[in-house]
Order: sequence, then C-alpha cells, then structure tokens
Amino acid sequence: MRGQENLTTEDKKMLRSVFWRSWTMNASRTGATQYHAVGVIYTLLPVINRFYKTKEEQAEAIIRHTTWFNATMHINNFIMGLVASMEKRNSEDPTFDASSITAVKASLMGPISGIGDSFFWGILRVIAAGIGISIANTGSFLGAIVFLLLYNIPAFFIHYYALYSGYSVGANFIQRMYESGGMKILTKCSSMLGLMMMGSMTASNVKFKTILEVSVKGSDQVMKIQDYLNQLFIGIVPLTVTFLAFWMLKKKVNVNVVMLSIMVLGILLGLLGIC
Amino acid sequence: MVVYGLLAALAVFICFGGNYLTGQSMMERPLVVGLVTGILMGDMKTGILMGASLEAIFLGNVNIGGVIAAEPVTATTLATTFAIISNIEQKAALTLAVPIGMLAAFVVMFLKNVFMNIFAPILDKAAKENNQKTIVALHYGTWIIYYLIISSISFIGIVAGSGPVELFVENIPQNVMNGLSAAGGLLPAVGFAMLMKLLWDNKLAVFYLLGFVLTAYLQLPAVAVAVIGGVICIVSAQRDLEIKDLMTTRSTVANTNGLSTQEAEEEDFFA
Repeated sequence: MRGQENLTTEDKKMLRSVFWRSWTMNASRTGATQYHAVGVIYTLLPVINRFYKTKEEQAEAIIRHTTWFNATMHINNFIMGLVASMEKRNSEDPTFDASSITAVKASLMGPISGIGDSFFWGILRVIAAGIGISIANTGSFLGAIVFLLLYNIPAFFIHYYALYSGYSVGANFIQRMYESGGMKILTKCSSMLGLMMMGSMTASNVKFKTILEVSVKGSDQVMKIQDYLNQLFIGIVPLTVTFLAFWMLKKKVNVNVVMLSIMVLGILLGLLGIC
Repeated sequence: MVVYGLLAALAVFICFGGNYLTGQSMMERPLVVGLVTGILMGDMKTGILMGASLEAIFLGNVNIGGVIAAEPVTATTLATTFAIISNIEQKAALTLAVPIGMLAAFVVMFLKNVFMNIFAPILDKAAKENNQKTIVALHYGTWIIYYLIISSISFIGIVAGSGPVELFVENIPQNVMNGLSAAGGLLPAVGFAMLMKLLWDNKLAVFYLLGFVLTAYLQLPAVAVAVIGGVICIVSAQRDLEIKDLMTTRSTVANTNGLSTQEAEEEDFFA
C-alpha cells in the first residue's frame, strides 16, 4: 500500500509491528485513571525498544505512556504514528523536550475523537447498520456480514493510513488543517450526511400505529385515526417522539430517564387502548 | 438452563471480547450478537430478526467517551435467548432488553472505572522496572478477566431469570402486551436523538427533515439516501472551497492594492 515511499526498511518493520498491535489497543483496561494506557504501551513497544537502548531509557518511555489515554479507534493510530516520530526525535536530539510527547498526545485526543466519533459512529456505522438491518429484517444472516464488511473495509484503510501519515507528517498537520478552514468543511459535511442518515433511519425504524377508531353516528363506516394521521404527515408521531427525546436530552435529562419515559408512554398507550 | 446460560455467556464473550481484540470491529453490535446467539441457541432466524430490531433500538447507544446508557451485548444476548427458549413474542422480548441493558451498563461502568483500578499499580510497577513481559501479560490478562466477568452476567441472568420471565409473560394482560409492543416501536427514537445531539447544527437541521421525507414518503432505502447525501456534500464542499479561495484572493488583492496606490499615482503623473 502507499504511504511508505520515504521510509527505511527498519521504519517499515517497526510500523508494521505497531500496526498489528494497535488493533488490540482498546482491549485491556486498568481502571479509570489509566484507561487504555496498557494498550498504548503494548502498541508502542516496538518503537520504544528500537529507539532506546538502555533499560533506564526504556523504562522512562514506558512510564511516560502510563497516562490516561482514550481516543476513537482507527484514527487514534494517527496519534500513535505521531508519537512514534516524536520518540525517534527524542532519542536522537538531547535538547528535545520529552514532556511535549505527552502534551501532544493529550491535546490531540479530543479533536481526533471529535472527528472520529462523528465519522465512525455517526456516519459509517449508521450507513452500514441501515443496510445491514434492511437485509437482516428478511431473516438472512447476510445482514450481519454485510454490516461488518461495510464498516470494516473503510476502517481498515483509515487505520493503516492514519498510522503512516501520523509518522510522516508530524505534529503541525492538524493545526494547519484547522487554520486553513479545511477542518470546518470536513466537519460540516460529516454533520450534514449524518443528519440526513438520521432522518432516513428515524423514518424506517421508529414505528407507531394506532388502532383507535371513531364510529360516526348514522353511518356504518368507522374512521381510522391512523389514516388521518397519515394524511396529515406520514410518520408524524415517530418524528414528534424523536424530537421530544432530542429536546429532553438537550435539556440534560438523563438518557435512562428518557428511555423509561418512552416505555411508560408506550404502556400507557396500550392500557388506554390507543395502540 | 445451565447449558443455555453457558451458551449465552459464550456469545457475549465472543462478540464483546472479540470486538475489542479486532479493533472495535462492531462485533459487539446487536446485528452480529443476535446472529451469534441465534446460531448458538439453534434458532438462527429468531436471532437475526431480534438482532435487526435491537440494532435499531441501540443504534444511538454509542460508546463515546466511555459513557454508555445501556450495554447492548448483554441486552441482545439475553433478550434473544429468552425469545428463543421461553417462546416470548419478539416485540415483548425487545422491551425486555432495555432494562437488562441498563442494568448491565451499570455493572460495566463499575467494572471499568472502579474494579479494574486494582490493576493500575501493577502497570506502574512494571513500567518502573521496564518489565515488558508483565505489560504484555497485563494487556491480554485484563482483557480476559474483564470480559469473563461481563459474560458471567448473562450466565446468571439466564439461570436465575428465565423462571420469573416466563411467569411474567404467561400472566401479562393483552393491553399491557400491546403497550410493550408500542414502546418497542418507539424506543429507537432515543437512539436517534442521542446521535442527533452529536451531529446537530441549527443551520444543517433541514437535512434531517430531507432524510426523513425521502424515506417516509419515497420509501428510499438507506443506500439511496446515503448516495444523495454524498452528492449534496460534495457539491456544498466544492462551493465552500470556492468561497474560501475567493476570500483569500480578495484579501490578497486588497493588500496589493493598498501598497500600489502610490505607484499608480506616479504612473498617472508620468503619463
């Protein structure tokens, strides 16, 4: 794959090892104060062992990475690549400030996860799940398979390029993206696409149907309330409920409370004979 | 029951543990968990259908910043298992998944933020001594311990819970059942609301409505909406880039004009 043109054989060997280890980065946990620190150290061991030769230097580097770390999978590899290049400079240049490695890691976690969460969780997964659900609803096992493939193929490439670009472009990249306004356009596009998918998924997945009927005096015909609701606006009840839930969440109502109130609402509708 | 309990625990371990070993490959999502549980319990079709419905309910239940409202893996496994072994109607089993998920989320939060802290000093010690073997052991060891504990919730849930659940389902009045079904239909709204909170921007809110109408009225599937969305994104990004270029050229033009007024006047004078 591309992205390896300017690397030495040793670089390639090290990054390949980091690449495979990084898939398990979020697997281990050592509590709230370290989070995925063990995974980070495990991922970076090839880097640490290559650039630092003495036991003391290696221990120092490992201690540096015992700090709290949590960033969106795949794109967190950009930080790993960046850290690898900084560890390299730290080992070569005695004037290099090692604390800047921790600083870069800590400051990039937020923005990287911000983009990563809305892209991976808000868009890629939603599209993959939307297609997966529609296949699985027919009872076919292909739904889950298609879902996994649609999500993981793009994720694999991003996982790969994030690591190599992080190693080669260096720390100024994100800042340049922010200053040039490119980040703003990227964020806008991902929100736009994400919201459209949300709307589509709301329409196909939030379901409501009333069995309420009104009989008219002097006529055999009954008026089905659902037909009137549909004439007004198809899916008016699901849309209203979704906005209500959204409004409650925006008012900082606990999500469990929102879920429970919808369950209570459903049971009430059933008891009153509306549904 | 013990066999079913073990199978349920196995399903959780495969999906939840496997997910984190493969770079959060989404094996933990109800679509996949439903399929795996269905296969293990010997009723693949119910598993798939439960997975599809639960995926919609838990779609917005995203694991962002380590805070989760419900834990979809345990919820999906238990709801699917009950649907298969206790013959509960699928829609009622769906609503069952929600409280289970909340309870499991509570256990998970406690585990990862409180219980797993006991391993922190081991890492600190290993780091000081540059004991890399211990670090690797810790990496895979905490993985096994953490997901074994989470899997055991499902084992206990099946062994202890199937009796009361069956009793409850047998004696439930019809209109309560209808209500539970209605709640199951409306619950995905919370999921979407959570994702909307993540993506919301007042200026872009109209696109939510566009997506809704495209599917509600035109019955377009998710792929078609994604493609239309992609087209709109590209068009709008191109326009934004043009505007950005225009702004930069305008400001450079303004700057050069400011510098060259004097020269221009001189040229006028000599002309």
